[in-house]
Amino acid sequence: MTRVQWTNAILFLTVVAGLPVVTLADDVTRIDERFAVDTITETPDFRQHVVPLLGKVGCNGRACHGSFQGRGGFRLSLFGYDFKSDHEALTAGEKPRVNLAKVTESLMLQKPLQVIPHEGGTRIKENTWQHKVLTRWIEGGAKPIGAQTPEFVRLDVTPDEIIAKQKGETFVLKVVAVWSNGTREDVTPLCRFQTNNDQIASVEDTGIVTSTGPGDSNIVVFYDNGVVPVPVILPVSENFGDKYPAVATPTKVDELVVQKLRKLGVTQSDLCTDADFLRRVSLDMIGTLPTPAEVEAFLADTSADKRAKKIDELLERPAYAAWWATKFADWTGNNAGKLNNNKSGVEATTLSGDWYEWLRTRVEKNVPYDQIAEGIILAVSRQDGESYEQYCERMSSYYKKDSTASFADQPSLTHYWIRREFNKPEERAMGFAYTFLGIRIQCAQCHKHPFDQWTKDDFDRFKEFFSRAQYGVTPSNRSSEQEMLQHAGIDVKKLKGNDLSKVIREHLTKGEVMPFNELFVPTPKRNPQAKEAKNDKEKKRPQVVAGRTAKILGGDEIKIEELGDPREALMDWLRDDTNPYFAKAIVNRIWSGYFNVGIVEPIDDLSLANPPSNEALLDYLATEFRSHNYDMKWLHRTIANSRTYQLSWHTNSTNEFDERNFARAVPHRLPAEVAFDALQLATMNDADAASWKTSLSGRSIGHTIVDSRAGARGKQSYALAIFGRSIRDSNCECDRSSEASLLQTVYLQNDSEVLAMIGGKGRWVEQILKNGRSVPPERAQQEQKTRQAKRLAEADVAKLKQRLQNAEKREKPEMVNAIKAELAERERTLATENQNGAAAAPVLPPSDFDLPAIIKQAYLRTLSRYPTEVELARANRYYEETTDAGRGTRDLLWALVNTKEFVVNH
Amino acid sequence: MAVHRTCDGIQRRDFLRVGALGASALTLSNYLRFAAADEVKNAKAQAAIFINLGGGPSHMDTFDLKPNAPSEFRGEFNPIQTNVSGIEISEHLPKLAQQMDKFAILRGVSHSLAAHELGSLYVNTGNRPIPSIEFPSYGSVVSKELGGPPDLPPYVAMGTGYQKAGYLGVRYAPLTAATAPKAGQPYSVRGVSLQNGLTVSNVEERQNLLRDLDSTFKGAEKNSQLLDGLDRFGQQAFSMITSTRSREAFDISKETPSFSEQYGQTSFGLNCLVATRLVESGVRFVTLNYGGWDTHQDNWVRLKTKQLPPFDEGLAALLNGLAQKGLLASTCVYVTGEFGRTPKINTQRNGRDHYARAMFMLMAGGGVKPGQVIGASDEKAMGPVGDGFKPDRVAASFFHNLGIDPQKEYQTNIGRPVMIVRDGEIIPELFA
Repeated sequence: MTRVQWTNAILFLTVVAGLPVVTLADDVTRIDERFAVDTITETPDFRQHVVPLLGKVGCNGRACHGSFQGRGGFRLSLFGYDFKSDHEALTAGEKPRVNLAKVTESLMLQKPLQVIPHEGGTRIKENTWQHKVLTRWIEGGAKPIGAQTPEFVRLDVTPDEIIAKQKGETFVLKVVAVWSNGTREDVTPLCRFQTNNDQIASVEDTGIVTSTGPGDSNIVVFYDNGVVPVPVILPVSENFGDKYPAVATPTKVDELVVQKLRKLGVTQSDLCTDADFLRRVSLDMIGTLPTPAEVEAFLADTSADKRAKKIDELLERPAYAAWWATKFADWTGNNAGKLNNNKSGVEATTLSGDWYEWLRTRVEKNVPYDQIAEGIILAVSRQDGESYEQYCERMSSYYKKDSTASFADQPSLTHYWIRREFNKPEERAMGFAYTFLGIRIQCAQCHKHPFDQWTKDDFDRFKEFFSRAQYGVTPSNRSSEQEMLQHAGIDVKKLKGNDLSKVIREHLTKGEVMPFNELFVPTPKRNPQAKEAKNDKEKKRPQVVAGRTAKILGGDEIKIEELGDPREALMDWLRDDTNPYFAKAIVNRIWSGYFNVGIVEPIDDLSLANPPSNEALLDYLATEFRSHNYDMKWLHRTIANSRTYQLSWHTNSTNEFDERNFARAVPHRLPAEVAFDALQLATMNDADAASWKTSLSGRSIGHTIVDSRAGARGKQSYALAIFGRSIRDSNCECDRSSEASLLQTVYLQNDSEVLAMIGGKGRWVEQILKNGRSVPPERAQQEQKTRQAKRLAEADVAKLKQRLQNAEKREKPEMVNAIKAELAERERTLATENQNGAAAAPVLPPSDFDLPAIIKQAYLRTLSRYPTEVELARANRYYEETTDAGRGTRDLLWALVNTKEFVVNH
Repeated sequence: MAVHRTCDGIQRRDFLRVGALGASALTLSNYLRFAAADEVKNAKAQAAIFINLGGGPSHMDTFDLKPNAPSEFRGEFNPIQTNVSGIEISEHLPKLAQQMDKFAILRGVSHSLAAHELGSLYVNTGNRPIPSIEFPSYGSVVSKELGGPPDLPPYVAMGTGYQKAGYLGVRYAPLTAATAPKAGQPYSVRGVSLQNGLTVSNVEERQNLLRDLDSTFKGAEKNSQLLDGLDRFGQQAFSMITSTRSREAFDISKETPSFSEQYGQTSFGLNCLVATRLVESGVRFVTLNYGGWDTHQDNWVRLKTKQLPPFDEGLAALLNGLAQKGLLASTCVYVTGEFGRTPKINTQRNGRDHYARAMFMLMAGGGVKPGQVIGASDEKAMGPVGDGFKPDRVAASFFHNLGIDPQKEYQTNIGRPVMIVRDGEIIPELFA
């Protein structure tokens, strides 16, 4: 554990904490050493030393004084970055925690030392450096941060990468804080450390890292506003670095993936089979199983570039645009339940349909991603030069009966902005960050982001970009609005709410012009005091004043009051070559559609503490994507044509535990919509299945309403819900689930919906039983006779029952008894015949069918491959055992859709 | 696969190890302190039945009558004595009045969300709804914490309601049965009941076929939580579909007529009978949705003819039936709507409108001290006397009764730490 580490790359020598450290010349000695001596005269700084120390010993944790209620009447800011309020909490109020007169009686000392009872237990020990830091700060007057406190610049962490040679090996991290006045201080004892995977590496409070197992992960260092991940690798095999075997890297993607694998000593699996490839790429790219004919043709094709050709072909299928538009609808939050706040009379579900179609047409035309984003981000209702009346006329034209015009034709996706729970600037900021930046900033709404650099202040300034866009009718258009309603004879005094919407809808259907709310960005009101505030030199930080300025995350302060639409500044920032999120976020999302895991995972958590598993790869793809003018089909093609995408799921000894470095295909459950469509396609008749190649009707990967309203729940697909289709509640990827669950299995095994798909009318099994049977003529005749006789006998029974009823009505007891007796006799005979003839009548002898052909078809339509000899024999045997081709085929298909291989993409 | 980042930033494979996380070493929860100080009796219930009265039942016409209130408040129903002296409830709840010694009434429960959806989400989760988190319903939490027998669903919800798995994810969603049971017939539950003439032996045969054909990933399960999970769920689904216990649990015709008689023939009563059987079989959590309480119009007519008689009969039978089977001591029953109704009568429509400032809730079973009224509303039932109880506190008590620490911390699906009940202390008076 405590063996000394020598690291060539680094200019200093470190030993395990507690022993002397040789430091760089410009570094200040570590705080634990400076304060180890009793003669220390230094007064520690509140920001640089005291707050980090309080964090380090746990005071501002969320279970303690960092909780929103505080604890024991004392509250600190969570993760400590609110220096002003923390200072007040310590020094002011009814019960100050410091006692300047009698320093040793300060609660700030007595509580953590447990001199007096402390619910949180003993946090520091007597006479330690921690004790002295706090004491000296109080003795020095318990000063807050002042003008002389420098700004935090960055953390320098060494080593910047750890490559271990064996389990149990330890390393010492050294963290130097760099401040704006040029000082550098070793703050290792004041840092918070965490491991991103304790099965790879653990880290102690002192910054000692221990390799705990093979693989790669990160240790993350936190101090002040700094968050620095340090990669830790323990190679999985002997064959890493120079000893790494020669492997094929036909594309740049492969090269970059292997570059990382080389460090890890992980070798990739072999290429997957053609059958695996076709199934995989069809499910990932177009959300659809290949048809049996497609599988057979692909397997028979001997051309060398057939995989690349198939990729090109799939990208032109309607299902490609349908499936990826569904993902875009997830990411942008298309939820009918959030669209019911408009008063236009257009139903929320229709608006949701508009939204989807707007996206789908653009994906289909392969509109560059930045342009799609711009249509959403800069959305306004009115087009250039359009008056309010013309706008209403145009909108109305979309919703008249049999309209040929469509909302999708207009350049803006205004619906994104008109959602409920997307009104307030902070809600919009959070949603925008998820959708277009792939980051989660909501933590910073209330406190310093625990895994990223964002502070509450950053959040408050960023959200100002979203404060101006409004949805409604401007006062100047109110009269116009009323006129339209009056013109149509609608009495707005009598009609309200849903009743009004209904009437407006009727008028719209008839083709009349109705008023619409509009999304608009009003020109800002200049703040008359703006000038004065600017000259106010007392204020160190410009105060947040709604509407005047906004700050790009990690970027510039922008005077939005001078902009016609502050969102333009955001769009410019997104398009800037140095933007760290925009291109990466979408590249990462699309990548994860093929590998089920992002280069950053979760895919919408591009935070500092959650670095990409392969930074070079993400950088390459994002840069190339930008220089290919945000061409999404280029990206799909680049990913799918890589060897890495086409690897087998069969593992080797080096990659069996790896699920994040793309060394093999990782089996994953089909997304809800894809699973349900696969189930349908596998069980439907051949003619219906053929129509799916060109038509999207009835597809779950296309537009299916997501509606969070309670009343709507019953109307939505049960299957999609239990398979975890996105609920589109926030814009978070976590609204979708790809977990397995008991309910899913129960559904697949025994739900009447599934059993009807398999054995119901007009399905594939019925088609096979009808058309696939060849019966010797004599037996066919015999069977027909039997069936006729049975029908006649049943008709007789029905007649007798009718007569019995009549007789009972007419109250003729003798007749009733006579009929009853006859009926009983007939029914007995019929029952016996049914029993005796059970084998002959309804049952279809397996020998009448070409079983190998049926079994082969069943495999092709479910698992997209031919059955093996063993499987063929087992299925054949099942037919023999059940002696019924009907049950045999149904159960075979049932078994195949219930295999793991069916519901898993591999 | 299911690698989630927790708030401490640790990525873990938590597929089969959920539950091991969350309890931070620093947390010295109130729960433990309470329990240690013996301020709250320890948990007794092992199963629960939650009855959600959708629409918001009028408190003043059921369990919190104000016979002396002015006429524009009072309403037309009179109070009657119960079998616990000093406690009176509505004259249209005569059967429940005779079971008063089996349950407790909470009066003066109060919150501020007088809209159906928000109020329902509140009382179905014990957490005031906020846009950024979807809270799990009680049953999802209980099935996660306590599990259930392998051949039974841990969580069954009858009727349609607000029972979501929330941030716990689809695997804790309830098995839902939206149809109403019929007297003397097995109750059909989605995916569990055998239909279309299928027999157990048919199912076993096709299962054998499946086992033989499902061999592609043989050996790969050990490295894949997904494949391993699919295997487990496959076995569990099969045993659920074929086990006698699970089929009989839903088959109310197996109950003796003399026992089932008391539940009556209404669908609410039959739902209560199914709930009794499910709990007896080992199902951990049953939710029952009984709507129709949104009496803006004709409040009294609708209550006395339509809503109250089945409710009175069904709930009285449920409490009595559980007691007869010796299950009441181990089964917590919790009854609530999403809010109460306006004390001041809407004379235009002869109804009462939404009102969240005062409402009632009922709780029975497990460690709950029965035959008592806790809390009170003011003389016009306009609000609680004193602070009243927030739904959060009732929820915390409900979990406590089941031995679940309501302050236990989970991670949401984005790694945000959140307590089961964010803001509620246990109500010690409920337990004796």
